[in-house]
Amino acid sequence: MSLWRQSLEIARIDLVVERRIGDTFRIILPFAVIALMIFSLAFGFDITSSGDAGPGVFWAIAILFGMQIALRSSALETESRRDLTTLLGLDPAARFLGRSISAAILLAGFTLVLFVAMLLLYSPELPGAWAGPLALALILTTIGLALLSTLAGEVTSGLRNRTALASLIVAPLVIPLVVGASQVLEAMERSSGILLWVLLLTTTDLVLLVAGVGLSRPLEEAAR
Amino acid sequence: MKRVQLLLLLAVLALGYGGYLAFNSPLDVLQGEYTRMINIHVPTLWLAFLAFGVTALGSVLYLILKKERWDRLAASSAEIGVLFAVVGVFTGMVWGQAVWGQAWDWGDARLATTAVMVFVYVAYLVLRQSIEDPQKRAKRSAILGTVAVIQVPLVYFSVYLVRTLHQTPSIRPDGATMPTELLVSMLVNVAAFTLLYVALMAARMHVARVEAAAKFSEQIAGDTVSPPRLSEIQDV
Repeated sequence: MSLWRQSLEIARIDLVVERRIGDTFRIILPFAVIALMIFSLAFGFDITSSGDAGPGVFWAIAILFGMQIALRSSALETESRRDLTTLLGLDPAARFLGRSISAAILLAGFTLVLFVAMLLLYSPELPGAWAGPLALALILTTIGLALLSTLAGEVTSGLRNRTALASLIVAPLVIPLVVGASQVLEAMERSSGILLWVLLLTTTDLVLLVAGVGLSRPLEEAAR
Repeated sequence: MKRVQLLLLLAVLALGYGGYLAFNSPLDVLQGEYTRMINIHVPTLWLAFLAFGVTALGSVLYLILKKERWDRLAASSAEIGVLFAVVGVFTGMVWGQAVWGQAWDWGDARLATTAVMVFVYVAYLVLRQSIEDPQKRAKRSAILGTVAVIQVPLVYFSVYLVRTLHQTPSIRPDGATMPTELLVSMLVNVAAFTLLYVALMAARMHVARVEAAAKFSEQIAGDTVSPPRLSEIQDV
């Protein structure tokens, strides 16, 4: 079985497990929507006049809650499941890629619904023809976040303080993605090019992809 | 241990000379005495970059060669790097308060990204503390140490990427944008702080070696033998 097929199979299994549990869309998404409201109320804004803050609040919540979604899939990995896939001859790179693919798919769905909720709650004034560039930024950000969270999930697997530590690792490293994603809309408002920010997002994704695949074997060894 | 002491002595002497130059270099008309901050702010942040680069190098070498010394190098450098980065951010805030009128300005991308970089390496150190098994700790932290370095170019290029209050580098291929005396003073301080980094690294790695030897002895013999005395462990 090729690396790609193995990766897709891992992603498929993760998504099936997620469909059965359903925490992402039943618990985390409603919680994130409530967070959108809390932000607005905490700032003391009249909710109709807080449109300017909408996209920024959206990215902050998407990243912070998205991190929890992406970390969940590696949290579900038990030692016996890991042993089983190793004995089956699964390539460690396929495990990393598969986990990242499933996390990216879940994140894409999550951020899309969250963005619609933000549009409804904040009514921001978006620049013309925003859909394409925003979709691109969203896809690149979710891929990067999925890769980074998968890496952090593996590095902290089995540790007592795993949940808090993985978040502490991901949160500062996710900054290039936050900057790139939020600046896409800002650049469009200023009518300056978005190429620089797309490049920043793409480069970050590529670096994380190469690091994750390249380090997948030591990651597997370290997880035992 | 004598080598560590000698390095520390050299570093102190170099810092003394750097301090002398710092207090005898010309002052900027607008910034006044705060101009002297350049002699601490720039060297400490340069060393933070260097230290985190060494952490990445040590991490990669550990993953390839699996020798504990590279893990010790990476960990020691991260600890010292965090120390220098915190000093660099703090001096930047003091300088910012004097020049911009506020210690923390979100318009300064360099300040914000540097502060975030500190947290990346704080996470690295917390990860190390969370794992008991030395090999597992070395492997996992080597992976994080390799990935964490992606933050360093972001900090460096942040002044070009976003609109920011922070100035771009003063030393450029076409020459420096500051008086020669100030430049010399700053470069001497960079060299002096680098020497301090080397001395601190030597001392920290010595301590790490002693700790590892003591732990190894405990693991092998339990309570049947006494732990090694420091004098029995080979000198640096």
